[in-house]
Amino acid sequence: MKKILLCMLAVLSFAQIAYADINATKASTMVEELTREGIEKIINSNASQEEKNKIFKQLFTENLDLDFIGKYVLGRYWRTASAQQRKDFINLYKEFNVQTWSKRFDEFKGKKFVFKGTGSANNPNQLYVNTEVPVENGKPIDVKWRVYEHNGKMKIIDIIIENVSLAQTARNEYTSYIAKSPKGIDGLLENLRAKVK
Amino acid sequence: MLNKIGKYTAILMMCGMCGCASTVNDEGAQGESSTLESYNRAMFSFNNKVDKYVLRPVAKGYKAVTNDYVRQRVSNFFNNIDEPISAANHILQGEFADSGNNLGRFAINTTIGLVGLFDVASSMGLEKNKTGFDETLATWCVPDGPFIILPIVGPSTPRAATGFVVDGYSSPSYWIAQESGGEDAWLVYYGVSGLKYLNLYAENMSLLESLEEGSIDYYEAVKSMYLQNRSKLKACGTSENGSADYDFDMGDMDDMDNY
Repeated sequence: MKKILLCMLAVLSFAQIAYADINATKASTMVEELTREGIEKIINSNASQEEKNKIFKQLFTENLDLDFIGKYVLGRYWRTASAQQRKDFINLYKEFNVQTWSKRFDEFKGKKFVFKGTGSANNPNQLYVNTEVPVENGKPIDVKWRVYEHNGKMKIIDIIIENVSLAQTARNEYTSYIAKSPKGIDGLLENLRAKVK
Repeated sequence: MLNKIGKYTAILMMCGMCGCASTVNDEGAQGESSTLESYNRAMFSFNNKVDKYVLRPVAKGYKAVTNDYVRQRVSNFFNNIDEPISAANHILQGEFADSGNNLGRFAINTTIGLVGLFDVASSMGLEKNKTGFDETLATWCVPDGPFIILPIVGPSTPRAATGFVVDGYSSPSYWIAQESGGEDAWLVYYGVSGLKYLNLYAENMSLLESLEEGSIDYYEAVKSMYLQNRSKLKACGTSENGSADYDFDMGDMDDMDNY
């Protein structure tokens, strides 16, 4: 009996480790491929802006878990939101991000990412892929990609530039907007809808 | 103007000592009192108007008459002239090797680098390692105080503002202006500092524009980013940079699979 228990314990703890141990190489490879594709197909390519936007939207939505980020961003308001509000928010948030980022392609011209290994996050199922963007003058820009595995696929859930987390920033901004808006979540949705058009 | 800023700073420092602390992880208001927030928002919108109607046109003009190469030299020059500030502060933080690194860079770039126009030291392995009095205060465990928008200067905290003023007075460009400017020393200093910030602004103008476009509450976004970025300063009593790691699975997330 004792043996069986021990055996079960061993299997359980192994399962725990296997679950907790997000594959660093896989995560790093995913970010590397994404940045390589982004630079080749968008930043350094001669394609039309329209074509670039299309490729970007595809890369962006495939590699970032915007459902996960969207929920984090709404914070405690996620709980009180109706199913329709949640759905609308996720869709608008996706569109708004794609639209905003598409305008920033030129800022990355001539830049590259240098990969600096991975670091652990405070959640064992997530990790940081550390990169640096060298600049002509001064210290390179520190860019961290927060990655987790979802349904067997590596997904980015946050990008942290010089300690500034995009998810955290949006969360502060959006939850404060909802708190101040007389219409609450609907006020935020209206604002986003107007911006996305 | 700067005298006014000095006065504001004194008030803000007092406010900071009263212990009105601000935290970045709070949702929404980010720990800001409503009186301070309404002042901040008013000053923020004033600064944005100055940006739009004064700074941006001037910076565009400056960009039109300079090229990347020139702006890079200007930036190098100011980085070099401030190197002794970093050297002094590294000593105050107990990091003597880093201080030596700053002095080495200053010696090399001022001479071989033609008064700092070229950053030769970096290619010789002496990497840029900037610090200031704000970071020194951080390592001495002086609390940051609340988020505050200063006139013209922009986002700050009482501790950051103190660092800004102390660094300004200890900058060699201030002492050189004092030495050579005679009665007009202040004018020389403001002129020189003006060029320093104009150059910085011109380089980051498009980034600011796209940040504004990409936000629904620009003030809240700037505040959040500013405070998060400050977490990179060395933490209290250490020589380690702060980390941006935060819990991504707060209580808010426990029903995330049910939508």
